[in-house]
Amino acid sequence: MRSRNGDHYFSRRLCSIILFYSLTLSASEYLISYRYVVKDAILYNESLIVSHAMKKCNGIAYEPLKLENNGSKNLSQIISANHDIFIGYIHKLGLDVQHNEETINAQNKSTTVLTLRTKCFKVDFNDNFAKIAPLK
Amino acid sequence: MKKSLLIALFLSATALLSVETIQGVEDTTGPITVEQAAGDVPTTQMVEPALPSSQNQSIEPLLKEEEELLISVTGQGVAPMNTSSPAQAYALAKRAAVADAYRMIAERVKGVRIDGQDLIKNMMVKRSTVRTSVQAMVKNADIVETTFKEGLCEVEMEITISHADFAQ
Repeated sequence: MRSRNGDHYFSRRLCSIILFYSLTLSASEYLISYRYVVKDAILYNESLIVSHAMKKCNGIAYEPLKLENNGSKNLSQIISANHDIFIGYIHKLGLDVQHNEETINAQNKSTTVLTLRTKCFKVDFNDNFAKIAPLK
Repeated sequence: MKKSLLIALFLSATALLSVETIQGVEDTTGPITVEQAAGDVPTTQMVEPALPSSQNQSIEPLLKEEEELLISVTGQGVAPMNTSSPAQAYALAKRAAVADAYRMIAERVKGVRIDGQDLIKNMMVKRSTVRTSVQAMVKNADIVETTFKEGLCEVEMEITISHADFAQ
């Protein structure tokens, strides 16, 4: 397409704007937190909370993870289908370790809590996979 | 007979005169001073206490600049009694073992806070309490090996640390 004043770049600009907005519209931001408690060497409680971010997160995406989505755009479903991979990925990102142990008259009790503090993730949904990346 | 009595008296007198004083017995890490006053000339020796062999073995390597340090730990976890399948038991035990391994890494790298309290009444220990706590942030730890035997899961984990990891 050529504009009236003969500007050749008009069509390129238009295409790039359409491409940019199509990419940004399919991307969304989620808040994810993960916590599990181990008491006396037995897993006591585990929770993974996924929710849409209510306001825009700032930061740069790093260390992305690609998960198969089979056409789905529901992040919770995608994560539950690839639970082990996602939990391993979260461990790699870094967890806070809080351990308390008490020995009273030679009887021992211990509690270990591993926590991923609520973090904003940018998620790009494509046809075959979803790309999840935390924002720093 | 008299000679032997005299010798015995002389020996006991010399034994009484020689006084051994040992300083710093409580502090086993410092050198022990042994003073021997044999007659009029006191002599002092410095004796270095020998560390127990187990203590020598458990000296942690130091993290040097421009070098990386590999830390390897093995965490243990147990499956709960009320699991619906062996696979669930394995998954839960593994999660507990990973948490234990993370705790061990945190202990090795950052250290442990220890609080102790003993309650003594009528010259008897009524209650002895030891509390330990660890708090740290662990990232980029790798699972090397996982074994599951008779309800006990063992996870071997490794982490490589360098000076850059502790940069503010």
